Amino acid sequence: MTPERREIPSALAGASLTGHGGVHDYSPISMMPDVKVLKIGGQSIMDRGRAALFPILDEIVAAKSKHQMLVCTGGGTRARHIYSVASDLEMPTGVLAALGSYVPRQNARMLQMLLAKHGGLYMMHDDFEKLPLYFNMGCIPIIAGMPPFGYWEKPSAEGRVPQHRTDAGVFLSAEVLGAKRAIFIKDEDGLYADDPKKNPKAELIPRIGAKELLARDLPDLALERIVIEYLGRARFCHELQIVNGTKPGMVTRALEGEDVGSIIYKD
Amino acid sequence: MSKLVADDGRTHIESNLMRESLVDRRVIRRTHTEGELRILPDVVMVGIGGQSIFDRGKDAVLPLVAEIAAIHGKHKVLLGVGGGTRVRHTMSIAIDLGLPMGGIAQLIGAMEETNAVFLNALLAQHGSIFMQRDHFWELPLYLRNGIIPIVISVPPYHFWEPPSPSGDPVPTHGSDFGLFIHAEVLGMKRIIFVKDEDGLYDKDPKKHADARIIRKTTLAALQANMPEELILDQQLFDAWRDARNVERVQIVNGLKPGMLSAALAGEDVGTVIDKEVAS
Repeated sequence: MTPERREIPSALAGASLTGHGGVHDYSPISMMPDVKVLKIGGQSIMDRGRAALFPILDEIVAAKSKHQMLVCTGGGTRARHIYSVASDLEMPTGVLAALGSYVPRQNARMLQMLLAKHGGLYMMHDDFEKLPLYFNMGCIPIIAGMPPFGYWEKPSAEGRVPQHRTDAGVFLSAEVLGAKRAIFIKDEDGLYADDPKKNPKAELIPRIGAKELLARDLPDLALERIVIEYLGRARFCHELQIVNGTKPGMVTRALEGEDVGSIIYKD
Repeated sequence: MSKLVADDGRTHIESNLMRESLVDRRVIRRTHTEGELRILPDVVMVGIGGQSIFDRGKDAVLPLVAEIAAIHGKHKVLLGVGGGTRVRHTMSIAIDLGLPMGGIAQLIGAMEETNAVFLNALLAQHGSIFMQRDHFWELPLYLRNGIIPIVISVPPYHFWEPPSPSGDPVPTHGSDFGLFIHAEVLGMKRIIFVKDEDGLYDKDPKKHADARIIRKTTLAALQANMPEELILDQQLFDAWRDARNVERVQIVNGLKPGMLSAALAGEDVGTVIDKEVAS
């Protein structure tokens, strides 16, 4: 005789949970909707050194008493070097993803040292639940932007660079916190129809819907493609803002909620 | 020797991705290679169902443990387990409370881990270890010493679980998917899922008496005609499409003695899903 399943009665008891929907009654709470989630670009900001970074940090410190900010970091050229070496060695994508998290961690630690006297705090993903404490203490928590998928990252359809990198981590942090907008600080004025560093005639797109942007099927995007896809499914984070951190005042204005730079919205 | 280039205000390290946008498709295509390193090609991943096996208690679990003890030494395996009814209970409470989806994903792994601890306690005398994620690179050590690693099945997506395509609050990156990715990144060729049905059916055999079993199929054939109710995570099949290493996913009935051993020996028992048609 087949031994019986010992089930705990619940709305989902016996459900397969393999991904075919069926939950209708769900109204999620937003955990910390007022937190400003921002990313400091790796290649675009960190790799420029103090000339680019210090003025941005000044703006963040000046905004500290007004805003709760979760600062996330990108990778940059060292991450590209790792991906390049790993691709040459034909490493699986999960290994690239695990290795890709080392550089954003270094960058987060650099920011912590620079912001320490203003309450800069390096945090691990496992410390995420301590955010309320950090904010209550007036700290500026700094986290590596890479999501913690590591070896469990999915293979990509094309190439072997992981699909979920630091932009994805930043967006997903904002989404789970219930923040409406994620702010990406880069070295260009916003989203362009092509890489503006290679194509100086590339058109700036100040505002565009996620679906519309995906439909344009641009060869290059200022943010990871998967983030634009996820934006369409998001419950809370409905806007991605890209601002030029090398222009004074832009970070402050973005923190104030102004629509500077480019905004990609859930349409 | 790599050199540093600093001609545009940024300091770059010379590489074929230097200065590039990693979002640019033209750049990403350049990282494609035909081959891929298989890190542990001779190991088979075995996933044991939570709801289907563990929730049935010792009458279902102990014979399976005896079977695993008996094959120990003949095959190199990694074991993983599902969480079963406690995961479903966690989710229904969390959904009722309106916790965000990433929060739900953060919670559920704990229930799978409790089953992994149970399994480890039962297998310890035969040489098993409950492996923490941080010990990922100790796998060769365990395998070379004849120890069966029991891995955490739910992937560490946690608070960062991506929103699901259906809009449902049920995290889609579950334990089947987690074990699949674990096998894939290590270059393993086969995964065997031990459940309480003879394999994959065209509809749920627990609800439909006329459900028909699918004995042998390919991923493409299955995706062209996906059953509504699945015995494995949908996400597993989606990820498999882009995967490089896993060649076969097999589903066997763990309530029938000998099925797991037969599958490990390479027999076509249960349902066999191959990535490609055998040439």
